[in-house]
Amino acid sequence: MTNEPVILTRALAKSYGNLAAARDLNLSVARNRITAFLGRNGAGKSTTIKMLLGMTRPTAGSGTVLGKQITNTTESCELRRRVAYVAEDKPLYGYMTVEQTIRFASSFYTDWRRDVEQKLVCDFELPLHRKVKMLSKGMRTKLALLLAFARRPDLLILDEPSEGLDPVGIEYLLQVLVALSAEGVSVFFSSHQIGEVERVADHVCILDKGCLLMDTSLDQLRQFYRRVDLVFSAPPPEREFRISGVQRIETSGRQMCVFASENAEAVVERAHDLNAVSVEVAPVGLRDIFLETVRET
Amino acid sequence: MLWYKAWLETRSRFLTCLATLTLFSGIFVHHAQALVRPEWKSDFNRLLFVNQQFLVIMWVLAVVLLGMGGIVREKAVGTSSLTLALPASRVRLLGVRVATGILQAAMLATVPWIAVFFVSTFARKPILVNQVLSYVLLLIGGGLVYFALAVLVSSLVAGEYTAPAIAFGVVLLGAIVFDSWLRQFNVWRLVTGDFSIDRGTYLLSAHPPWTGILASLSVAVLLLLASAIVVQRRDF
Repeated sequence: MTNEPVILTRALAKSYGNLAAARDLNLSVARNRITAFLGRNGAGKSTTIKMLLGMTRPTAGSGTVLGKQITNTTESCELRRRVAYVAEDKPLYGYMTVEQTIRFASSFYTDWRRDVEQKLVCDFELPLHRKVKMLSKGMRTKLALLLAFARRPDLLILDEPSEGLDPVGIEYLLQVLVALSAEGVSVFFSSHQIGEVERVADHVCILDKGCLLMDTSLDQLRQFYRRVDLVFSAPPPEREFRISGVQRIETSGRQMCVFASENAEAVVERAHDLNAVSVEVAPVGLRDIFLETVRET
Repeated sequence: MLWYKAWLETRSRFLTCLATLTLFSGIFVHHAQALVRPEWKSDFNRLLFVNQQFLVIMWVLAVVLLGMGGIVREKAVGTSSLTLALPASRVRLLGVRVATGILQAAMLATVPWIAVFFVSTFARKPILVNQVLSYVLLLIGGGLVYFALAVLVSSLVAGEYTAPAIAFGVVLLGAIVFDSWLRQFNVWRLVTGDFSIDRGTYLLSAHPPWTGILASLSVAVLLLLASAIVVQRRDF
């Protein structure tokens, strides 16, 4: 199996008039990984996904998904055969029944797994003969997920997959994602639920205002990001801590909080040099890292 | 399965229109023929010609309604990302919808005239099969341009009511403009049989207006090609 990224973009951009939804995106999503795509509302996540699937034309740049050019109509069609996608608003045809929806979707794919379909219908307690328009939001989400999970795609793209699910459903979803990844399916999903991302993702990409701000593994984040809380006997000089890796410094009286993406040891050393009364180093959660990253922009 | 989807999307519109057109034609001819004296042979033919006039109005309304929908409309109701994520090109999606619409338009032209044929036969006023075929040919061959126009409008405008309103507006405006200044090119008159009826016998000419039909079909093809280009280039 090749190590070529499942998603690769080069200076991908999309503008709607004067509004830039995505700018100069250089995205590389590794194979057999769960990659989370984080960003605030309107950051450009859905637009990027739509460009990858050929629904929206990029204004500039290029990209491939599973080695297929996203702007080539024929290749885009081929790549969609190998990609399972669940859109943000979980679109389904309201005039079809659950069973008709499943039969309709399954007819397009040779990788459809009837056994998985039946298991998911049972697990999700989906009413086969009910019209989709009569389903609750949670049921619609489950049906949309079934249409993606009942296949054996090379790449699974999910846009806010847990929206509308109850905690039991979310837990099930996360387990399925991990299981699919273990089977060799690459997963690329956007989410606002950072707790979920932290649990299952191997890699994190953070997007804000159309720009890719971070593209790193979760392990690296955990290893290097630190919050250093310092207490001094007198108000400390902030400039002494403006060193490489320090993202932000907050000072309140004699207390100082230093947020470092790397080089936390140098911060601690500098604090000791300046006779800090107290020095506490703590790992930083993904939520704080995300907030810190998007705050800077 | 795209055919199945197209059928599910249009079946209520189609069946309603089919029932309306068939019942109207059957009842109209059944009631009206009773008023015609046996010796007024041409008057019965005239009745069939009048039936075609009413049928054209309803048929055009029906095919414009059948031409509505598609990916642009789906975008407005939020299902376009499901359709576009399928491994099917946009041209294929449009093609299946258009083919389904054409088949339905053909049924809407054929079934009412079959009903008229049987009603006339039961009333002992049999009509010539070639007259029925000619009326059907005029409806389908000449009138598909209205369906193509509706498809193009629905590829440009997403609104549930805006798109049909614009399509009906263009049909009406076209009929008025062509009738006023370019009468010989008026598709409406071509479809109603106005260009090929013998005013003495009220029988359609044995030679259908092929030039007009081919010209109308060519315009329909151009409109459908334009729709394909619009849908291909559009962002969803």
